[in-house]
Amino acid sequence: MSEQPKEKPPKAEKKVKLPAEGPRAKEKAGRIKDPASTHVDEHVTHEDPTASLIPNTYQLSPNKPFPITTISHILKEEITHRLRDVRYDPVRSREMTLTLCEVIRTRMKEFMISRYKTVILVHIGQLNGQGLQISSRCLWDPNFDTFVSHSFKNTSLFCSATVYGIYFE
Amino acid sequence: MLTGMEEYTSGDDGNFNTDETSVLVKECIEGVIGGTDYNHNKVNQWTANIVEHSLTHLVKQGRPFKYIVNCTIMQKSGAGLHTASSCYWDTTTDGSCTVRWENRTMYCVVSVFAVAM
Repeated sequence: MSEQPKEKPPKAEKKVKLPAEGPRAKEKAGRIKDPASTHVDEHVTHEDPTASLIPNTYQLSPNKPFPITTISHILKEEITHRLRDVRYDPVRSREMTLTLCEVIRTRMKEFMISRYKTVILVHIGQLNGQGLQISSRCLWDPNFDTFVSHSFKNTSLFCSATVYGIYFE
Repeated sequence: MLTGMEEYTSGDDGNFNTDETSVLVKECIEGVIGGTDYNHNKVNQWTANIVEHSLTHLVKQGRPFKYIVNCTIMQKSGAGLHTASSCYWDTTTDGSCTVRWENRTMYCVVSVFAVAM
């Protein structure tokens, strides 16, 4: 893109109303000659360079709903499999919470649920006769956003896992 | 004309502000269980209040986010508790904040997850 022919194109195309710079004038000339072309002029969109990369789909709702039952099975399977006969141990439980989070997230990625962001929360605690209350509240769109939860208990520990699915517009 | 795209995310409002949220949540916790001791009958009410107050204040900020607020209250008895979270989202716009609070008789952990719209 040379700056030399800057003055020449405006003289040639008097039809062009907008005062354009050299390269842009050439693009506009291209558009006028071929109005059926659907090529996105990346040079013109200087205000929003990412607009050409992610075209708008005008989608209002998800194609597939969040698979609650499948995720419930996954949670049940993973937690029971990993914690069934495990005694509470501070170091191991700490690692187990992180492992469980990672594992659940990996398995969820396999579903390729499009346009859904997920948040996975895992609590593992020791059973010592103490009282515990876990509660959560969300500000979201109840039509598309949802959560799945599963809790597990054995003789020495308890585990509570929650997966939230949030639709991304 | 390709000027139809309005930029909602600009400057501070686009990204989640962890520090501001942390201060806000701490104030909410103090307001609800500030000078109290663990009470099994009231704990349900406490968690609900903390979560609701936090959410109300977050909404008042008027930012384009969906929120998930999670609150855990545990009695102090020498038992251990581990919490972890994993999120699949856009790391540039979404964020989370966890606040740990304790007094003589109980622990309180509040997590706030903010997902951009």
